[in-house]
Amino acid sequence: MTVTMIKPVSDQPSDPSPATPSRLRTALPGIVRWTAAPVAALALFAILLVIQGTNPADAFSDMISSTFGRQQSIEQIFIRMTPLVLAALAVAVPARAGMTNVGGEGQIIVGAVAACGTYLALGDSMSGAIVMVTMIIASVIAGAAWAGIAGLMRLVTGVNEAISTLLLNFVALDLLLFLIYQPWRANPVGQPATRELSDAAKLPVISGTKVHVGIILAVVLVVVVHVVLRKTRWGFRIGVAGGNAEAARRAGFRVGALLLSALLIGGALAGLAGFVQFAGVEYKLRPSFGHQLGYTAFLACWLARHQPFPILVAAFVFAALGVAGDSLQIDSGVPSAAIYILTALILMAVLGFTTAKKKARI
Amino acid sequence: MSLVVDVMTGGVRGGTSIMYAALGETVSEKAGVINLGTEGSMLVGALAAYAACVETGNPWVGALAGAFAGGVLAFIHAYLVVRRGASQFASGLTLLFLALGLTALFGASYVGRQVHGFDTWNVPLLHDIPVIGEVFFEQDPLVYLSYVMVPLLWWGLTRTRVGLLVRTAGERSEALVVHGYSIEVWRAAAVTVGGMLAGVGGAHLSIAYANAWFENMISGRGFIAVALVIFAIWKPYRVMLGAWLFGMAIALSPALQARGYEINQFLLDAVPFVLTLVVLTVFGRKTLSGSPAELKRVFENAPPT
Amino acid sequence: MSDDPAPQPPQRPLLTVLALTKHFGEVKANTDVSLEVWPGTVHALVGENGAGKSTLLKMIYGVYQPDAGQLMVEGREAVIDSPADARRLGIGMVFQDLRLVPALTVTENVALAMPGGITLKLKELKAKIAESSERFGLSVDPSARVEHLSIGERQRVEILKVLMTGAQLVILDEPTSVLAPQEVEALFRVVDHLRDQGFGVLIVTHKLNEVRAIADQATILRGGRTILTNVVPKEHTDDELIQAMVGHSVSDLVRRPATVAEAPQPALQITGVDCRGDKGHLALKAVTLTVHRGELVGIAGVAGSGQRELCEVAMGLRKPDKGSVLVDGAAVQSPRAALGAGASSVPEDPVADSVVGRLSVLHHMTLDGRPLPKRGFGINWGSVRNRTESDNERVGLRIAPPHRKLGELSGGNIQRVVLTRELSLDSSLVVAAYPSRGLDIANVRQTQQVLLDRRDHGAGVLVVSEDLDELMGIADRIVVMHDGHISGEVLPTDYDRRRIGQLMLGGAA
Repeated sequence: MTVTMIKPVSDQPSDPSPATPSRLRTALPGIVRWTAAPVAALALFAILLVIQGTNPADAFSDMISSTFGRQQSIEQIFIRMTPLVLAALAVAVPARAGMTNVGGEGQIIVGAVAACGTYLALGDSMSGAIVMVTMIIASVIAGAAWAGIAGLMRLVTGVNEAISTLLLNFVALDLLLFLIYQPWRANPVGQPATRELSDAAKLPVISGTKVHVGIILAVVLVVVVHVVLRKTRWGFRIGVAGGNAEAARRAGFRVGALLLSALLIGGALAGLAGFVQFAGVEYKLRPSFGHQLGYTAFLACWLARHQPFPILVAAFVFAALGVAGDSLQIDSGVPSAAIYILTALILMAVLGFTTAKKKARI
Repeated sequence: MSLVVDVMTGGVRGGTSIMYAALGETVSEKAGVINLGTEGSMLVGALAAYAACVETGNPWVGALAGAFAGGVLAFIHAYLVVRRGASQFASGLTLLFLALGLTALFGASYVGRQVHGFDTWNVPLLHDIPVIGEVFFEQDPLVYLSYVMVPLLWWGLTRTRVGLLVRTAGERSEALVVHGYSIEVWRAAAVTVGGMLAGVGGAHLSIAYANAWFENMISGRGFIAVALVIFAIWKPYRVMLGAWLFGMAIALSPALQARGYEINQFLLDAVPFVLTLVVLTVFGRKTLSGSPAELKRVFENAPPT
Repeated sequence: MSDDPAPQPPQRPLLTVLALTKHFGEVKANTDVSLEVWPGTVHALVGENGAGKSTLLKMIYGVYQPDAGQLMVEGREAVIDSPADARRLGIGMVFQDLRLVPALTVTENVALAMPGGITLKLKELKAKIAESSERFGLSVDPSARVEHLSIGERQRVEILKVLMTGAQLVILDEPTSVLAPQEVEALFRVVDHLRDQGFGVLIVTHKLNEVRAIADQATILRGGRTILTNVVPKEHTDDELIQAMVGHSVSDLVRRPATVAEAPQPALQITGVDCRGDKGHLALKAVTLTVHRGELVGIAGVAGSGQRELCEVAMGLRKPDKGSVLVDGAAVQSPRAALGAGASSVPEDPVADSVVGRLSVLHHMTLDGRPLPKRGFGINWGSVRNRTESDNERVGLRIAPPHRKLGELSGGNIQRVVLTRELSLDSSLVVAAYPSRGLDIANVRQTQQVLLDRRDHGAGVLVVSEDLDELMGIADRIVVMHDGHISGEVLPTDYDRRRIGQLMLGGAA
């Protein structure tokens, strides 16, 4: 029987509606756009400073000389960068699986709390090396578990982890405050804090500098994460799950396990960041511990398009901004949090203006 | 004054700022855009209101300033997301950072300054009703305004053309284009209105509730508002009830302490968040199925675009 | 068609398309296209997707502006710069994907289309809808939420919406692809009614039998040009029309009778299965179906009769509430189990369900359910490449090069990749949902041939299709589904469109 049905052809798109990026965006190559973004951000920041009554030229020159002119500041950049790198990796791995981990704040805190708790329990009775190893293990497990709560919620009830990890941040913060103000409080008067780490338990520094060895750990993990995501079967699978969960399911992948494992690893990395911040930077828990590290790392990861090596660069930039912010406070009398403006402006420039705009469908 | 009435009164008072922000976020999410920067809108709203009130002495000017500031911040989010296709989560958080920075920069000079914000005003007759009167009718004007806001918003969403367009933007944006409306305009409008309401919520905190300004004073209420919208299944009346519920959780601690009960403040502070998590866990599946279709897509497609 | 009544004043065509041309750089979407639609007539626009139909429609509706040529409405030159302009000129468009908002009610959807003030006067509108629905013969329930309506009902809402906003020319874009034969007849009755009332209807279709059934005139597009313009269908043979559409004759399918293999167990055994769909409703009701090794079973049914859930249950993607599912004798409760038992599947919507946009063709070839070929902790891409090459040769659909990202490929290309991957395996069961969608005639033939080859090699093949001719051409028996039940089974000796159509709508066999 002759089939008289004619099937629609769609081997070529029937009307290839041309994407229409603005003339500006097609004319300027990417590199120029990426430098224009921070420059524009700096200009806006300068204007805001003027409105507030600070001389931007002075402020900027002070910032630059303070931040890049002194070895101490450069070391500070590396020190601040380390937990940022780890926390950004904590966002990148789940992101590969299609998950949004905004819970870095909480996972970092929980990791630090676990490390501190371990120290308080064991610190006096065991040698520094053993204590340190135990702290690391504790913080990794704690961070993973904290993220795991959100992971289980997603698996069992479908609640998006963006919301649950966010809420868990606040629970972690309250937990931290509770511990600092009551059971673990080391000083009866003044700003509450826990007992400071003994020197044996602190992260050793690279000789000749104040930079602790955590930076090496961070770089190593960047390489490891890169290799795992690109070259291993697990990395491939979570990439498929993140790209199209249904496709992964139909390929026979255990999607739930993949998503959960990605989030657990993210939490573990963030917990590790908490350990580093505790044992390498602050040495004790205070109410302001980790100040916005998690969110900063989230944004750094976005800036780096969730890729491990660019995360190093983004973390460096954000750490430098943080140090510059301190200089703002010390040299120009502007509150250090004001540097967030510059951070945000740079991000806005990148988020908004460095990708081709999607054309609306008709 | 019984503990229950105390807590309920505190609940309405403290929950109002959350309610404004959550109502605003409801509008935004109905149009298909989630704004994690709501906390930021509340922050700039709080500072703007405080500053305006200090400078002019008029709290209503403050409230307007708060709405304006919150709206401007949200508008940036709208622009980035709707016009530039940026990730909704990343953009929202970025704006939170912007707000933190801006309020630190411009708010330093206002810390510790005196302000005369909204006074409570007892509604004649109604406030004499036992219990109800004390809880609902001995509040400040912004609280009374919030009572009106809820049905107004409901009516606006379901019975006006604008509301229809906003809802269509969040359910099936192609349907807007086909009829000659712009997806971008209506989405951006919804997000901006959301920010304005959040700004009023922030204003309530600084010039009615706490009558103070300090860095980071919103402490997570903006995020609670975002979560609240989800478990209220995007319905204004539920948002209202949920906001009061959270207000009560927040009010519990000071009320108990005032009576000499030794309850750890921080554990109680965690209650709203834990409560939200529990409710989401229990009702999660049901709420997600009632969400605007475009929002579902945002949640499913989360990270890299 | 109605007889010519008493002398009328000379009419002008509602729409005249004159030498319309639209090129997108290299791609010549429309070249020199002309046609006329007269009031009180039905004009069919026929052609394949690449032929340029949608570009033409978009120009008529104001989405694109022509590079050259003219559009005239009622004999007067018209400049249509936007859909709003088109609407003002009385042109109404019913899109194939029905631009209705599912979560809103019928009244709200109509309100969206009507101009109006700040408040929606919903009660008034409801009354108007009821009145118009009577007048135009389109029965709709104004209070119903669109998501609860069937596709046929939704179409009626769309048409009503278009008429209520003042359209004189109604354009229907491929309206019948999702309807059962009897629903198509109902639609055509509506179209007849519109014709009698003096409206003009432009119906876009690729089905010749429908052209013959409803159109007074037809214009055939191929490669962006009009091959036959304003012709009267009954003055041409099928072959002439096909030639115009495709440019060559279509070859016959090679088909041997089924040899049901002597196998210990059937490829698929579904017994007494009840199953819930996504919306919580019961999608499968006491379904019992067996597919033996070496036979090809066709599943016919109106969209939403449970075919999707049937395929998912067979592949372990959905757990039945009651009953059992066995693939090659093994109980199947998860995709892994189904794949492990030798099942392979071609999903209904590969773009949504099988594609990871940023991954390449090569990457996708590993997603067939077999264990990933190992190399240390990674994947042995070399062996994947070899396998891909040999699969491509065996299936013969000529897929895109291995490095191409699937996100960049057209729907048809994606379909070919998925088909190649799934049909090259030595499966015990092949579940193919709408396998020919998006393919041109040569590839459709090839695909049907490969499905038959799989059958000849001992697989049990289940094919879901909306194309009754296709099913009648390749299936050893056709099982018809309606509303979650199996309403009947038809053997080749009884293959008849009307009969199957009746079963599709729940009538007795």
